[in-house]
Amino acid sequence: MIETFNSLMMGFSVAFQPQVLMYAFFGCIIGTLVGMMPGLGPLAGISLLLPATFGLNPIIAIVLLAGVYYGAMYGGSTTSILMRIPGEAASVMTCVDGYAMTQQGRAGPALAIAAIGSFVAGTLGVIGLMLMAPTLASFALRFGPPEYTALLLMGLFVLAYMSGGSMLKTLAMAVLGLLLGMIGIDVMSGYTRFSFDIVELGDGVGIVPVAVGLFGISEILLTAGQADPPKVQQPTLRQLVPTKADLKLSVGPIMRGSVLGFLIGIIPGSAHIISSFVSYGIERRLSKHPERFGNGAIEGVAGPESANNAAATGAFVPMLALGIPTGPVTAVMLAAIMVHGILPGPMLIQQQPDLFWGFVASMYVGNIVLLVLNLPMVGLFVNLLRIPYAYLYPCILAFCILGCYSVSNSTMDVWIMLVMGGAGYILRKFGFDLAPVALGLVLGPMLELSLRQSLAMSGGEYSIFLQRPIAVTMLVLGLVLLGLALKPLIFKSKDWRSSVGLDENID
Amino acid sequence: MAGANEGNVEVKGGLRSDQISGVVLIAIALVVIWFNREFPVGTLADPGPGYVPLLLACTLGGIGLLVAVMGARSQSMAGTEWPEATRALIIMVACIAATFALERIGYRLTTAAFLVFFLGVIERKHPLAVVLVPAGFSFASFYVIGTLLKVPLPVGPWGF
Repeated sequence: MIETFNSLMMGFSVAFQPQVLMYAFFGCIIGTLVGMMPGLGPLAGISLLLPATFGLNPIIAIVLLAGVYYGAMYGGSTTSILMRIPGEAASVMTCVDGYAMTQQGRAGPALAIAAIGSFVAGTLGVIGLMLMAPTLASFALRFGPPEYTALLLMGLFVLAYMSGGSMLKTLAMAVLGLLLGMIGIDVMSGYTRFSFDIVELGDGVGIVPVAVGLFGISEILLTAGQADPPKVQQPTLRQLVPTKADLKLSVGPIMRGSVLGFLIGIIPGSAHIISSFVSYGIERRLSKHPERFGNGAIEGVAGPESANNAAATGAFVPMLALGIPTGPVTAVMLAAIMVHGILPGPMLIQQQPDLFWGFVASMYVGNIVLLVLNLPMVGLFVNLLRIPYAYLYPCILAFCILGCYSVSNSTMDVWIMLVMGGAGYILRKFGFDLAPVALGLVLGPMLELSLRQSLAMSGGEYSIFLQRPIAVTMLVLGLVLLGLALKPLIFKSKDWRSSVGLDENID
Repeated sequence: MAGANEGNVEVKGGLRSDQISGVVLIAIALVVIWFNREFPVGTLADPGPGYVPLLLACTLGGIGLLVAVMGARSQSMAGTEWPEATRALIIMVACIAATFALERIGYRLTTAAFLVFFLGVIERKHPLAVVLVPAGFSFASFYVIGTLLKVPLPVGPWGF
């Protein structure tokens, strides 16, 4: 414990450096703005900023990108509450009761509770990250290729179980992503696969063009041509103060949402989206007056907002401790670290303590910055929403092209982005969740390499996975979850999604 | 945020969206299997470079089959509305043209032309805005990203 405290103090000495503080502040502001704008979620924002971080030192780069990530989580709630437009998917549930409160003239308390809930959840999440990541990393030092294979397979099975929509469609998208990950040079044999003699594809398909295409471009293709958003309410500072009754009602949902969100954030998939749906479902079930939900219940804002922020922090645990992303955002952030020659994995915390602890400390600072920034300045931020969408979307498109080109100074990445954008548009029209594609793309090469290394170790014996206790535990756990995911398909029974209202809403 | 199947109309009979999706997934799997012929698959004990792609393609084909078979109750294709499709197509064509032009005429000119097209031709905004927004955006973004952050951006043959 004392060691953790000393390490955290060392982290604060890094985080309080003026340059780091400045970039954390910029990240939070950019993130808040990005989260508020429909068409630019946290992923697109991070992907577009990625090239700009190449010239920065790795600590500043990750602090800036993390600021954008949780800033976007905060920002997404503002448009949900004031305009019923979720800036990003995790804020969909906030729209329901948040906008109902706005219609009742209670936008201020809704915004305040969303910000307070996000702050509490973000802070508790960082404490969880601080305590869990080093322990998990020490444990993961025992991992060899068979354990990694089992871990990655378990991650994919968990993804199927926790998918927001159709399990089969989620699996199909994950496999499609894994197949995309097969493009490029096979490190074990030297064969260049599926590159069609295009030199740039020899290095494989990058996560940034895929992410920007699937999430940024497809969103613009779906929303272009829409009418300009309605007029925005601007609550005054006095109106933002919640009543005692609001606070009393919100304490439980905020605490439950924080714990739940953090735990869901650790597992792969669209964690921050799922956590907000699950939190809303739980709060509705626990409420003595469930009929208030949908009609302006403050618990319906407090729970989901806390959950999606805690999930955003929880996602950093496997990213920093194991070097394994649980979603597209953490995949892009891993790419940002690797650009600087840092190898993510269990050794990261030991070899780069200033990066890990500086990052953790900067998240404490970032949460305070966001609370201070979001409450008094909400009126200023909503002015952004007055920019007509007709001006915004061409500029966002130009930024997408610029961002993808800058990653490797190649138009190939822009072409990949456009192909992914078109594919993403069609897939979303057909009800497919796109996050597993990005996740599969990153996990694919890792899974293939660890599988083949395991077989090389065992002389081709698959029993190696059954002889190693950690590997067999993870495989059994994964298979149990896969079985549970398949159960509703085989027996036509209801699964957990219907109990939290995810079936009707996730689309 | 636009969502899947947004604004769709329930229509009875005809092909369903999941049936089409399933068939497309099977087609993708077959294409992968076809191109995977070039790579040695190896054996179960000693997998070659073609092993995992083949395994994944077969899995994708299997899932595609299940999606198609179980898709009888999904949204009807006739009921799927595409109100934004024309605009989406125009956006894609403009992006393709911009990508072609990027390294040929440089970032600033490409971006300015791209924005002039959207604001002037598609959105029919005020002429002053059509001039000022593209010029301001292309030069300001070049200055911030290219000059301040030192990210190399393409410059056209006119040094522009």
